[in-house]
Amino acid sequence: MKQVIDYIFISSVLLLTYRNLVAAIDKMFLIWQIAFPVVYIFVAGYAYSALIKDQGINVGALSITYVSFLTAGMIGFNVMNGSQIAGTIFWNDKRNGMFQQLLVMPFHKVQYVIANLITLIIIGLASAAVIMIIGLPTIFQDVNVTLWSIPYTILALVVGSVFFGSFTIILSTKMKSSEGYNVISNGLFLFFAFVSSAFYPAKGLPEPLSIAFYVNPLTYIVDITRAGIFSQIDVFTNIELVILSLLAAMVFLIATRAMIRMQV
Amino acid sequence: MEEKCICMSTMLSDSLSNEAFSLPRDRSEPCISVTNLKKQYGKDSAYTLNGVSFNVRYGTVFGFLGPNGAGKTTTLKILTTLLSPSSGSAQIFGRDLVKKQSEIKRKIGVVSQDPSFEANLTVEKALNLYGLLWGLRDSRARKDKVKEILKTFDLESIKNSKNDELSIGQRRRVQLAREFMHDMDLLFLDEPTVGLDPSARRMLLDYIKKHVMSGLTVFFTTHIMEEAEYLCDEIAIIDKGRIIAFDTPTGLRQKYVGVHKTIEITFKDILNQSFIDLLKRTILRWRKKDGGNMDGYDHNRNDNTSDIDVKGTNTVVITVNDAEHVISKILQLVYKNDMQIESISINPPSLEEVFLSIVNNKDDDNSWAR
Repeated sequence: MKQVIDYIFISSVLLLTYRNLVAAIDKMFLIWQIAFPVVYIFVAGYAYSALIKDQGINVGALSITYVSFLTAGMIGFNVMNGSQIAGTIFWNDKRNGMFQQLLVMPFHKVQYVIANLITLIIIGLASAAVIMIIGLPTIFQDVNVTLWSIPYTILALVVGSVFFGSFTIILSTKMKSSEGYNVISNGLFLFFAFVSSAFYPAKGLPEPLSIAFYVNPLTYIVDITRAGIFSQIDVFTNIELVILSLLAAMVFLIATRAMIRMQV
Repeated sequence: MEEKCICMSTMLSDSLSNEAFSLPRDRSEPCISVTNLKKQYGKDSAYTLNGVSFNVRYGTVFGFLGPNGAGKTTTLKILTTLLSPSSGSAQIFGRDLVKKQSEIKRKIGVVSQDPSFEANLTVEKALNLYGLLWGLRDSRARKDKVKEILKTFDLESIKNSKNDELSIGQRRRVQLAREFMHDMDLLFLDEPTVGLDPSARRMLLDYIKKHVMSGLTVFFTTHIMEEAEYLCDEIAIIDKGRIIAFDTPTGLRQKYVGVHKTIEITFKDILNQSFIDLLKRTILRWRKKDGGNMDGYDHNRNDNTSDIDVKGTNTVVITVNDAEHVISKILQLVYKNDMQIESISINPPSLEEVFLSIVNNKDDDNSWAR
């Protein structure tokens, strides 16, 4: 009987995920999702490299180029940026009346939340793979993946997607308009992006800024991703993964609760 | 957190009992049974629904009418599981609405008042996706169903248009058509014909009638009384969160005025004021002689003008109880004045008149409710 329950639940989630992928996502968003990090890697990466005279940046025991450092950072950044899609899907569904319609069909709010998270995990991982492939010439000399570091990196990206996806869902359930949601989420995500180790290393920063870096979950995602790509996994990155997982679980529960309590 | 627990346990219990779900087809059985339903949005706010009770029988069309803000949408949202009631109970297909949500949702269709559409998809793809979401897994069967629906709802010419490129009326047609992509036993229609042209409206009403003949139950809200009259087997009128009338359309009319009817006479000649005054005096004299027999109608209408209206230049509309007697008096008067009649008709009151009378008189008399 449990199998029947699981099947019904899972099949509803998969149907909603499929629907998100074919109907709810704006194609321009997907293009931007890839284009922005690639432009950043090839323009900002080489421009800043020239500025810092190509001095090496330490990741664990390894010294890598700034472009390699930035490429790995952009993969983590991309996961965060892509998570905005969960809020966008929700707002589009509300605006087009589909949110209410789906809820009078045999779907639950919990399934809707999970389907949105799976959607952004798929998009996050797919775009991370594309960025990795496009950025490979820039990090080729530094990449050092193992059988263990690949799933480790993927896990970090998935957990990161769940964290930021749940975060945008909470935000979108609390905001009264899509304009308000866009302003707040863009502002917050700007903070997350630039007060993190996505673009520059956290080591050597003034203490208040360094603390701010480690309050930001994007720093954990980016650190773990880098550690995975360059095989520099250590105790610190393991602790970061545990903290990130706990944060993601907590934010996911809050998002689910916010969605359930929301008046339709 | 408590709500979440209820939701999760509902999902599980619903899934467990899914296989044993079958519906009775007896028209005397209630498909929807609502008892003392109350809804309060905030602790200190007034009740939006204040003790609503009614039954909807299987295989019938139930009209749910009421002025704006009466509680129609709140009732509909509760019955379609979007809102939880503050108190009271509701059963659909004999199942508790709160405890068996998923089970019930698999057997209902809902066309809401607000538009809903997949903006990025073409009409054909949106229908196809909707069928899939409803569990129509066989792609061949789904394609055939889409073809059938496109043809029935006259959507073939716009099947390749994206939903956000359509006019309001076309989008509405797609929204209605979409709901017939899946099998259901109960259909909720919230003002479904808003934005439709007359032929699309009539087509939809006839299509619904056809489905009702084969066992579908329909819960129908509208502001258009002709539609309610055309489609509904029973009608409930709600105002300020309470049901103030509940009967068949004919029953409501009888309760409203008994034998009250409207006589409409169109003359060949243009009416002059002296003839209209004479007509009014004659009817007033007859009424006084007859003891002012207006029972069941409007007791305040004892003046000599309010139940005679002139339409255009040559038509009079007279509202009376005893139409057969009055008409003989009128015909005598017409003959004496050498007037010529082009057409004459005696009509029962329209449902719109019934609705207006009930809603306007609800504070004076609550005896309408059955």
